[in-house]
Amino acid sequence: MSLFARLAAAPGGRAGLTILGLMAFIAFAAPALFPGDPLRIAGPALLPPFSSSEFPLGTDRLGRDVLACLVHGAQISLLVGLAAAAAAIFVGMVVGALAGFAGGLVEEALMRVVETFQIVPGFLMALAFASVLGASLPIIILAIALAAWAEPARLTRAQVLAIREQDYIAAARALGMHPLEIAFKEILPNALAPVLALSSVIVAGAILTEAALSFLGLGDPNVVTWGSMIAEGRNVIRSAPFLSILPGLALVVTVLGVYLFSEGLADTLRQNGEERP
Amino acid sequence: MKRAIVLLRRRLIGSIPVLLIVVVLTFLLLEAASGDAVDAYLVSMGGGDAALVETLRQSYGLDQSVWARLLLYLQALAHLDLGWSVAFNRPVLALICERLPNTLLLMGTSTALSFCLGSLLGIAAGAKPGSPRDRLLSAGSLVLYAVPGFWLGLVLVIVFSVWLRWLPTSGLETIASGKHGWDRALDIARHLFLPVSALGVIYLALFLRVMRAGMADVWRQDYILFAKARGLPRRRILFRHVARNALLPLVTVLGLQSAAMIGGSVVIESVFAIPGFGRLAQEAVSGRDAPLLMGIILVSAVMVILVNVAVDLLYAALDPRVGASEAAS
Amino acid sequence: MPVLLSRRLLLQSSAAFATLATLGFRAQAQGTGGRLIVAADSEPKNLNPAIVASNGVFFIASKVIEPLAEASFTGEDRLEPRLATGWKGSADGLSATFTLREGVKWHDGKPFTSADVAFSAMNIWKPLQNLGRIVFANLSNVETPDEKTAIFRFSKPTPFQLIRNALPVVTSVVPKHLYEGTDIAANPANNTLIGTGPFKFAEYKPGEYYRLERNADYWSEDQPKLDEIVYRVLPDRAGAGTALEAEEIHLAAFSAVPLTDLARIGKEPGIQIISAGYEALTYQLVVEINHRRKELADLRVRQAIAHAIDKDFVVRTIFLGFAEPSTGPVPHNSTEFYFSDVPDYEFDVDKANALLDEAGYTRGSNGTRFSLKLLAAPYFNETRQFGDYLRQALAAIGIDAELANNDSAAHQKAVYTDHAFDLAVAPPVFRGDPAISTTILVQSGIPAGVPFSNQGGYANPELDAIITKASETVDGKARIDLYNDFQRLVAEDLPLINVAEWGFITVARDTVLNVGDNPRWAVSNWADTALKG
Repeated sequence: MSLFARLAAAPGGRAGLTILGLMAFIAFAAPALFPGDPLRIAGPALLPPFSSSEFPLGTDRLGRDVLACLVHGAQISLLVGLAAAAAAIFVGMVVGALAGFAGGLVEEALMRVVETFQIVPGFLMALAFASVLGASLPIIILAIALAAWAEPARLTRAQVLAIREQDYIAAARALGMHPLEIAFKEILPNALAPVLALSSVIVAGAILTEAALSFLGLGDPNVVTWGSMIAEGRNVIRSAPFLSILPGLALVVTVLGVYLFSEGLADTLRQNGEERP
Repeated sequence: MKRAIVLLRRRLIGSIPVLLIVVVLTFLLLEAASGDAVDAYLVSMGGGDAALVETLRQSYGLDQSVWARLLLYLQALAHLDLGWSVAFNRPVLALICERLPNTLLLMGTSTALSFCLGSLLGIAAGAKPGSPRDRLLSAGSLVLYAVPGFWLGLVLVIVFSVWLRWLPTSGLETIASGKHGWDRALDIARHLFLPVSALGVIYLALFLRVMRAGMADVWRQDYILFAKARGLPRRRILFRHVARNALLPLVTVLGLQSAAMIGGSVVIESVFAIPGFGRLAQEAVSGRDAPLLMGIILVSAVMVILVNVAVDLLYAALDPRVGASEAAS
Repeated sequence: MPVLLSRRLLLQSSAAFATLATLGFRAQAQGTGGRLIVAADSEPKNLNPAIVASNGVFFIASKVIEPLAEASFTGEDRLEPRLATGWKGSADGLSATFTLREGVKWHDGKPFTSADVAFSAMNIWKPLQNLGRIVFANLSNVETPDEKTAIFRFSKPTPFQLIRNALPVVTSVVPKHLYEGTDIAANPANNTLIGTGPFKFAEYKPGEYYRLERNADYWSEDQPKLDEIVYRVLPDRAGAGTALEAEEIHLAAFSAVPLTDLARIGKEPGIQIISAGYEALTYQLVVEINHRRKELADLRVRQAIAHAIDKDFVVRTIFLGFAEPSTGPVPHNSTEFYFSDVPDYEFDVDKANALLDEAGYTRGSNGTRFSLKLLAAPYFNETRQFGDYLRQALAAIGIDAELANNDSAAHQKAVYTDHAFDLAVAPPVFRGDPAISTTILVQSGIPAGVPFSNQGGYANPELDAIITKASETVDGKARIDLYNDFQRLVAEDLPLINVAEWGFITVARDTVLNVGDNPRWAVSNWADTALKG
């Protein structure tokens, strides 16, 4: 059975796949489902949900279509989450691998920097970074990545160090393989697996961090994200609680989907390992 | 105890270069910002003229070069002087001492409760992997783990403060209440209930999951199978062997999460208007108050180091195989 | 609970006024001391209103430190005496004489005299205060012939009309004996205030609360009514409404309860919504324009933008009706200066599009004529929301506006120092006289870095001439005429676009009495504010 089929067979994995598939579809189809700027003022303000066929989930404070915002929000929230996680994992892996291979002073210096980013509360750092440099999408992605790259860096280095000592590497060395060839062909591919396993958690963390930053007013005002919808809805939370509850639910479901997926994946991989002779 | 002090000292001294990097990066970040402390102040002032702006910049020392200011700050820091907050016009140390206890109270309570409850529920779930109870707890914890704390805080306020009116909406205690002793403690507890829940739930879920996963691993170990075969009572195996061993990764996670928890409290403090560290940090950033922000980040970094030392000691205490010297390396 | 309309409207009927007056009287009789708890959304770094004349400071400090006169709905010149009981300007505009109140004592027991006024004026208002620097620019000295008389001498004719209008804002008197010979900006009394007001500064717990105590020796008999005022620091806008409903606080001023919550919260038993008490604190919603952009230097483009803004939508949806559409740089409720005979820019998208076509900025293939950078001041929810609205309104006429999310300091720098904007949304305040903080919005020659001023590079010699002339015209009538020209010219040439004007809303429990009984109520001394039962 392929990995995918196995994943789809496990109930948790299936749920995770379904949720993520649905979210990805919504995100991709957003421009087709709701063409134009979702922030456009489309109707009367503060229509409650289910009261109008034109705006099934109602409208917000300025009369924007909540459903359109939710759908477009999926796009930006996922984009920010994925981009930030990709950036964090890429930087983390490069720095970690560099430290692991270089050793000596370079390793010492790099790991000091990694340590710095681990002991300073990441969210605090992201907050300072985004508010000082002005919250626009690239800055927000950078800020989130900044707060998240240390863990993959640490893990990559640990993996590289561990694998370097293994017999098959020694064997490769004995065979006279070029160190770079060993690094890229033998060590890195093996070191990456656990780091990539971490990636779903980083994506979930990035989506949540983006929401929290937007909630504190550090969102890009030109696009709509679930976090910025919660922040806007907060001002009217008692007269129109649905405005902050709906995007919050979307967040919870998406993050849950990511977790279910990663858990199912981990289970499937483990079963794979156990079944191997 | 002596071991603890040696370990602590070594860690703190070892982290000086790291802390220096933190300070310089923070300083440069605020330098790169658009607008300075005077711009921030002018907004609250509501107007002024060019000469006033000039005078203000001079009195803030902003007419000096970046490096001169950084050097001055570092010199003061070498004497353990955290400097002067330009936004509050008070010593940074005084501000931090004022706000830190609030955050510690919030974080400490959340951590303690989520750790205890999380590990207990984790034991309940992991006692019999695959049982209905396990499934329920695992699924529930996964959902809770996906809930953003600030959003949960908003929902809790709506339900418990606005609709039911059981608990206060915000703040840390009834202001100027004149309460003392137990009355005051009770008052603070009532105020803390919602923020602690909002901050703690995600960690509760995390601890539960780590504990449960750890237990599931331990159950598969040979020595447990052996203990079972020897006919040891199940309860005894559960608590003496499985739970105890599964607690170790939990302690590690606790250490790793301490920095994240300080970050999480920033948002929770904003939701519940708690005058803590997180809010101070926000105020420092919006006021472009470099000394204050550097002080906050330094102190929180030191706090994270302290927590990790404590975690190492706890680890050593729980697992006799690991000596403190190993943990320190 | 009913929504009380602006008291100004009610006053138009004397019968209504009589009812109110009786109500007020009855209410006063019922006051029985007690502690009033109100929401405060900021903790000013410097609490001295003589140095920082801002509403954030006044909200707390005005109960402790008093001005020479306060704004009033009914008094002569719309003023009510405080530390001065009489004032008179000379015909040449070179002097102004103030008669001071007898029997006033500072909170530390020392007597209040003309020396305090002279010291405050010469050493603080003129050199240090953000607004006093403008109003008292030509003040050369203050004579004190006796303990209860202060004569202000000016080097150039200074309209007494301006001084009078500015009295409530710029003349907070501080004790000379605590400030003389010290570094005034760093004096500890800037934060532990000593004044003559009805309340004494008692305690400040940063991040938590300020506490003021009744001044038993207050000069006005039977006042203050309250024993204590506690300002609970609730920086979060959503917090105030919740706290009010949960009966943790009595009152939230300055629209601390979001406008969207008013309709709902107003239905709660025991809560009243009061829009009176902000008539002299009118905020204006303004689109600042960077005239260095070639497109925006074209009057037709500015007219098009003005036509693209649906002021009624702004008032109805963003302000939920708690605002008024603007016609020009002076708000309607300034009965002394408001001039209505100015060009009007009705909401008309077609006309706006036609104007842009005529100016030569035709739509490109993507429907866009040109792109602009739009910076909305982050100080209020409403200014941010208007930024969101304006972006959409501009999209409708083919202008692509990109919003930037800056915090206060960054916005300040970007707009008023770096000029890194094309359009900006600003909330300037009209402070009773156009010369205080309004003409500066369009006057040319203001150096970069001056906040809340014309940094858009606009220069109109005709307008500058009017502004200068008005600043030296002593005769009140002639000065008003000049400001009528000023308003007409601004509306014609659109150096900026005035969209709406708004006062704030106070939400209070109905046990709080005499709320909103003067045009600067939130920042006045609250000597007659009381708690029922």
